[in-house]
Amino acid sequence: MNEQELHDAVSRLPKSIEPPRDLWPGIEARLARSGAWRRWYWVPLALAAVLVFLLIARAERSAWDVTALAGRPLIGTTRLAASGRLRVGDWLQTDDSSRALIAVGRIGQVEVRPDTRVQLVVAKANEHRLALARGTIDAKVDAVPRLFFVETPAGTAIDLGCAYTLETDSLGNGLLHVTAGEVEFQTGSHASRVLLGALMQIRPTTGPGIPYVEGAPAPFVRALIAFDFAQRGTRARAIRTVLALARPQDALSLWHVLQRVDPALRGVVYDRLAALVPPPPGVTRRAAIALESRALEGYWTKIQRIHFRMMVLRGVREIDPRTGLAKP
Amino acid sequence: MSDDLVARAQAGDQTAFRELYRQHAGRVYALCLRLTGDGRDAEERTQDVFVRLWDKLRSFRGDSAFSSWLHRLAVNVVLNERRTTGRRERRVMSAEDPDTVVGAQHAAPLHLNIDLERAIAELPDGAREVFVLYDIEGYGHGEIAQLVGIAEGTSKAQLFRARRLLREKLER
Repeated sequence: MNEQELHDAVSRLPKSIEPPRDLWPGIEARLARSGAWRRWYWVPLALAAVLVFLLIARAERSAWDVTALAGRPLIGTTRLAASGRLRVGDWLQTDDSSRALIAVGRIGQVEVRPDTRVQLVVAKANEHRLALARGTIDAKVDAVPRLFFVETPAGTAIDLGCAYTLETDSLGNGLLHVTAGEVEFQTGSHASRVLLGALMQIRPTTGPGIPYVEGAPAPFVRALIAFDFAQRGTRARAIRTVLALARPQDALSLWHVLQRVDPALRGVVYDRLAALVPPPPGVTRRAAIALESRALEGYWTKIQRIHFRMMVLRGVREIDPRTGLAKP
Repeated sequence: MSDDLVARAQAGDQTAFRELYRQHAGRVYALCLRLTGDGRDAEERTQDVFVRLWDKLRSFRGDSAFSSWLHRLAVNVVLNERRTTGRRERRVMSAEDPDTVVGAQHAAPLHLNIDLERAIAELPDGAREVFVLYDIEGYGHGEIAQLVGIAEGTSKAQLFRARRLLREKLER
């Protein structure tokens, strides 16, 4: 057996092997013995206590700290000197020479860039919500997913544990650029998931476009935008270009395309995606084309894993974008 | 969805944690089995990983995929255990172990995978760990050196040795 044959054999090894017996009872018993389960029983009680405290401090809770980083931003009609409080319902506005930093409760911060208008909508322990009417914000959140939301005229950015830059005009034309973790952008009709190192165009009527990775070839990005936002005839041409130009690292784009093309085209999109990044075990062509959520989620998990690995090890190790494994 | 499960488990939901176990046990067990080369050890380490996961879960912030984070945790648990106890006998997969390999989808004939799994299990400890981390799990030599506590050059030498031994075993 030569080196290549060994490599091929290794690459075919199953990633998952079921244990010969159910290990859960042993795990559960150890957690119970160590008191770890019991310790967690206090968590709901502790949360309830925190909730009571927060209810008592309701007035304080419904306001976030704001610091002026440059110039003198406005809160309502009041000029902010060095720092102040942004209360639910208040608008914070920067002009072309001012910037501000909002503390998002205790879970993160938002830098408000010049020429931006943003409102505090909800300030609760389980929901932190801003409305971005226009301008640009840089958000950084360190919390469990789905605690921080930013509404724009075109839809809502939902934090899944991340950092990102979001810009929009007053009509809802905008751009989302994720620099850490993952963001979901939702409208009433559909949603996109944007991973770190990826961007996504936003339009007022159609909402989130198809995300694409930084450095994707310009013709590929143009075709994606045409597919997202152009007329029907143009979309058919655009999809052919997208499929022809897609690389393995564009799998996250094709995963979204699969769900947005006409049903008759799903097969060809799936085949291209599968050729670039083979589906994980258990994901069948039939299930993916039928848009069964289990199949789509399984595929997404693989794409997400490879993508994170490529980003984290960028410049350190060359990763095969088809498998996520380091290249020999 | 996995994100939702993780969030619920982070909030102390034991049912969600159990579901996380169901979803990830196979991947963790496979890693433990290959790193330890022993089915019984692999079961113990898999249990260790999930007990440790319950303690560490709140520190997961979503900077990477949960499965990647858990995978790293599992590697640390297995390697720490080895460092702590200092025990490591050379082990060979028992006769019934090949059955445990069945269950995942195989693109290659089953007997080849079983031969390869057995050959990996029979490697010397140091060579096996580096081979599993580098060739199967995709870690780089720098990462492996940190994880295992060896020099990067040693990692490369162990990999070379592991590949040579495997080729020899599989040609027999």
